Amino acid sequence: MTISELQREASHAHIHPPPQGFVSRYVISFDHKVIAVQYFITSGLFFVLAGLLAEMIRAQLMQPHNTLLSAQTFSEAYSVHGSAMVWLVIIPVLTGGFGNLAMPLMIGARDVAFPWLNMFSFWLFPPAGILVFLSFLYGAPQAGWTEYPPVSLHTPGTALWCAGIFLIGVSSTITGINFMVTIIKMRAPGMTWTRMPLFVWATLVTAFLSAIATANLSAALAALFIEKIFHVPFYDPANGGSPVLWQHVFWFYSHPAVYIMILPAFGIVSEVLPTFVRRPIFGYRAIAYSSVAIGLVSFMVWAHHMFTSGLAQWVQLPFMILTMAVGIPTGIKIFSWVATLWRGRIRLSTPLLFVIGFLSCFTFGGITGVMLASVPADIHEHATYFVIAHLHYVLFGGSIFGIFAGLYYWWPKMTGRLLDERLGKIHFWVMFLAFNATFLPMHWLGLLGMQRRVAFYDNQFEGTNLLPMVAHTNVFVSISAFVLGLSMLIFAYNALRSATRGQVAGPNPWGARTLEWMTSSPPPYYNFAEIPLVLHGPYDYGKPLPYANISQDLATEPVD
Amino acid sequence: MNETRSQPLLDTEFWSVTVLLTVISALLMWGVVIFPIDAWLPEASTVSKDIDFIYRFMAFFSVPILVYVNGYIVYFMWRYHVAKGEDRTATGSDIHDHPGLEAAWTIVPSILMLILGVLSYVVLPKYYLASAASVATIEGIGHTFFFEFRYPGLAQPVDNDLHLPVGKQVTIDLTSSEPDIRNAVIHSFWVPEFRVKQDMIPGMIVPIHITPARIGTFRIICTEFCGVGHSDMVGKVVVESQSDFDNWFKSEQHMQSNGATQAPISIAGGDAAAGGQKFAAKCTTCHGTGAFAERKVGPGLGNLFHDPDHPTLVTGKPANADDVADIIEHGFSGDLGTMPNMQVNQLTPKDVANLVAYLESLHK
Repeated sequence: MTISELQREASHAHIHPPPQGFVSRYVISFDHKVIAVQYFITSGLFFVLAGLLAEMIRAQLMQPHNTLLSAQTFSEAYSVHGSAMVWLVIIPVLTGGFGNLAMPLMIGARDVAFPWLNMFSFWLFPPAGILVFLSFLYGAPQAGWTEYPPVSLHTPGTALWCAGIFLIGVSSTITGINFMVTIIKMRAPGMTWTRMPLFVWATLVTAFLSAIATANLSAALAALFIEKIFHVPFYDPANGGSPVLWQHVFWFYSHPAVYIMILPAFGIVSEVLPTFVRRPIFGYRAIAYSSVAIGLVSFMVWAHHMFTSGLAQWVQLPFMILTMAVGIPTGIKIFSWVATLWRGRIRLSTPLLFVIGFLSCFTFGGITGVMLASVPADIHEHATYFVIAHLHYVLFGGSIFGIFAGLYYWWPKMTGRLLDERLGKIHFWVMFLAFNATFLPMHWLGLLGMQRRVAFYDNQFEGTNLLPMVAHTNVFVSISAFVLGLSMLIFAYNALRSATRGQVAGPNPWGARTLEWMTSSPPPYYNFAEIPLVLHGPYDYGKPLPYANISQDLATEPVD
Repeated sequence: MNETRSQPLLDTEFWSVTVLLTVISALLMWGVVIFPIDAWLPEASTVSKDIDFIYRFMAFFSVPILVYVNGYIVYFMWRYHVAKGEDRTATGSDIHDHPGLEAAWTIVPSILMLILGVLSYVVLPKYYLASAASVATIEGIGHTFFFEFRYPGLAQPVDNDLHLPVGKQVTIDLTSSEPDIRNAVIHSFWVPEFRVKQDMIPGMIVPIHITPARIGTFRIICTEFCGVGHSDMVGKVVVESQSDFDNWFKSEQHMQSNGATQAPISIAGGDAAAGGQKFAAKCTTCHGTGAFAERKVGPGLGNLFHDPDHPTLVTGKPANADDVADIIEHGFSGDLGTMPNMQVNQLTPKDVANLVAYLESLHK
């Protein structure tokens, strides 16, 4: 297409007026930017609750046989902690939050394809979270976030938990379909696949995973709910069901879900890095296509969570090989990001620090992931603190560090004001050190024999000479976890402070080149007065901006 | 833009850093090779050493990846960062990619993964595949919250106490069951020192094959959440010489055949205070000291001896000291649930007497 043809196509776009009235603007809003903020606030509240549950868990484990919590309360705490962090924090923040905030702007669209559905999927989210937490009143789930039957059928709160997770699953499916259509159909003229920002690539793959995989979760949960309430046997062997069936359907969703929780974080890293290193991202195509490869393979690895569930050896083998294969595209990404730092002009701003934290922690989590893929090694590690350590290196060191990188990066776009750099750096260093102090020793505990989901651990080290060392390590881990929790207060203060005292950002405070920075901060209701034309890829730092139809005064210099 | 083409892309400083990182890697890799795994977690079965070899292999090649990734991150951040006062809008190299480098970091990890896959594939059958070598097949059954083992030649099962002769391959058929199958849940059989773990799944029997390589007492840990007593579901495996094993087996046979003639435990003169401590250590996982209806796994025992609504025990006998002691001693297994016996709970006859005294002292 020639430029004049593109301009003709773009001129068909027209602007709708913003809605009037508080409710239609901020509550039942169809605006992707407002919906994003709604997701952030709701998830933020659940993050505080789930974080407090984590601190309860660590308080209990300060002593080998602590009487602080009963075994039952302890089990409820870790089950709801895990469920909430996965379904009410990480997935909604990365897809509903960042996907809504950045993706439509980055592709030069005025909104998502189905704004009403977008509003609807958000409003499924708060009731879902409330149902999960309400289950405490009736005896919350105790079998962990995986809720393996038959034991999960013995807790009354399982029904509420099922209903809540089902709702958030439907929300996730709808958002996935919405984002798929948006990215495929609504990119600005000239934005070919290989000119798409890498966060959009990541969001596209995530959208496919959400739409396809989450349907399986919904089916599995519906069956568990029906079994719990109406005693129709799906999973309980006493009545002819199969407990291993749940493990298959659950992990058929939940392994792709691991990538739903990390691919958008990969996308954030790929945006923040070139902006602050001020050079093109190294290996754009490799990073983009490796996301697709990860997405495809993620559907074929679920049984690696079940190596001790009595699978035949010929079943284990392909799952082991495919799981190791996921490491290859992931490695390609990590090496490409490190190579991006080479010969850059690096500005050490807070978003970049969180990306560096991500790279360091996620590489470690990736390596322990390969260690869990090897069947003989996994048999020893399965369901121990080694797994707890691995998953937190991936989901906290990966996803949460990515989320904070994205928050510091897009905060000015969302609010019009910058977060304080000095507080941001303090936040990063406290969080990074406390995170590693919390989760690194857990690898060791797991390998030595500490299994997960135990309120007391004196028994299993009785008769070994390990108990004093294990107990001291747990005290160290708990204290680090408290510091990790407190580090979030620095961010909370920074966020509140920015509302009144934050530096006004201007449209493009970081000197970035993707389209969301080519409009004011926060963007107007219609995002772009004219739909921009895209002439090149977004990361050619040092060259003129690759867009037409944008007002030139917006391409400002960085202020930091 | 800022490339000065006269300078090589990779200068002396870069290569010096690379050499430094290589030295650090090599030292750490040497550490991996000599690390005494056995001293921390004994390699007590024949497969332990093979699995530990896989661990060493993985750690050996993980070290350089971690050192280079983190090392280059720190070096690049230091070398290329823009200091205060410098031009903050300047841009870096415009190199987009490097096919050779990208091929290298695709192919090298692929080869390492392939080797790891083959290694894992070679080790796996040693643990899973049945061979004719097993000297015996033992049934291992998970219960809430203890392990039951049934030996061929023993009429009664032994609880939480697995004895194995050293150097002989045994097969253990693992499953989970309860007197009322509706209460059965998934457990898992893990002996860290054997590097062996297998879920015990109701309705499924999964055989595993173990050859203990070292004499000693190790832990059997339940690793699949099974309910409120999960944390305390720990048994022991005793690996002993063939003659010690034979002696144990004979004494077990002898004890079981004479079980009926054993002297009854005297429950007179129990110490309620000592019983209270034992109760807190052994019983509170399943029982509270509240009213009957305040159930955990089992009922609240605060009114055990004085409850007009429940004058009889779960065994159908009246709530008197002898019959309470009988339940503590032998455990209970029936429609209403399962309670382990005094051997599983590691109680002495004196403990039983103390517990009865303690329970009698309670009054809601």
